[in-house]
Amino acid sequence: MSEKNDNFDDLKHLLKLKRHEIPPPGYFNGFSSDVMARIRAGDTGRSESLLERLQEGSDFWGNLVHLLRVKPGIIGALATTACLFLLASVLMLDHSESDQADTLAMTAPPTPMITFTDTAADPAAATPTLALNPPDAGITVSTNPMSSLQPVSSMFGSSDNPLFQPVGYVPASQ
Amino acid sequence: MLTMSEPATVPDPNAPASALEADLVRRARRGDLAAYDELVKRYQERIYATIYHMTGNHEDANDLAQESFIKAFAALKSFKGGSSFYTWLYRIAVNKTINFLKQRRNKHHLSLNDLDFNAEHDPDLVALISEKTPTRDVSLSELQKKLNEALLKLSEPHRMVVVLHDVQGVSHEEIAEIVGCNIGTVRSRLFYARQQLQGYLADYLKT
Repeated sequence: MSEKNDNFDDLKHLLKLKRHEIPPPGYFNGFSSDVMARIRAGDTGRSESLLERLQEGSDFWGNLVHLLRVKPGIIGALATTACLFLLASVLMLDHSESDQADTLAMTAPPTPMITFTDTAADPAAATPTLALNPPDAGITVSTNPMSSLQPVSSMFGSSDNPLFQPVGYVPASQ
Repeated sequence: MLTMSEPATVPDPNAPASALEADLVRRARRGDLAAYDELVKRYQERIYATIYHMTGNHEDANDLAQESFIKAFAALKSFKGGSSFYTWLYRIAVNKTINFLKQRRNKHHLSLNDLDFNAEHDPDLVALISEKTPTRDVSLSELQKKLNEALLKLSEPHRMVVVLHDVQGVSHEEIAEIVGCNIGTVRSRLFYARQQLQGYLADYLKT
């Protein structure tokens, strides 16, 4: 690729023709004064894109923007990588959540939030007591619906419970 | 707040050009418009020519060159001095021009001015026309038209490298700094662009 070995001499001579494409004499006489007048008037140039501002902001951003401009494929590669990363994160999160839920469902038996003491054995304690889970159990969250079901009898007690009274309807006229 | 002059510093006529330029830049950064006016006068023709060879239009070149100088003045505070002012200014002009050309894409218009009088007396061109071209009656203006059409067929990065190096005479190293790539990329772009141009202009370059 060395310049000496390549026969571009004719082309180089032809390109010299461009050097003769110059504005007429005196063209630049008012150029700098026009620029100065616009600066004095507070003109900061036409509105420009964020990319353009970044380019002049610092060398790093300038180089990055230039790289993206010259090789637009990099934008696609970056976007694809970001999408794959996002997808992988979502899948991993979902997987770990289901694993955790399965583990909890297998290790922790369902405990009712409210239990009733056996009134037959201890009539004095015939009031419902709220049996909270021990503090160290923490809050258990499970997506398994079976693990959170409680037997109906544990919620309402049995027919032996004095608080449990069958509902009967007797018309007043009888 | 802009100030018009700063009488405190008097440039030493024996000081090297880079030192003078650094002084002008320093003063311009403080808002000295007279100093900035000097910088504009120093580079206006080169900046203008580069933009003109990229756009092929004097009006666009004038607008973009003015915009580049105005932008450079507004951004002078961010100029760290890591590169020369001239390289930094070129970079602004190059970016502005490429952005402009992207917006103007598909709206090609070419309004080249006539060549100056000296073109007819350029020994290289005279030799090229009288000896190298197969059709001996080709005129300079026709050659100019074909050359510009061929240049416009190049992509902007390739055209920029050819314009800066083969037309403007900017070194590979400076182009790398201006365009923001390494020297190898500059060389390969230049080689590819020349190959392309040689293909487009084959009829005018045959021996």
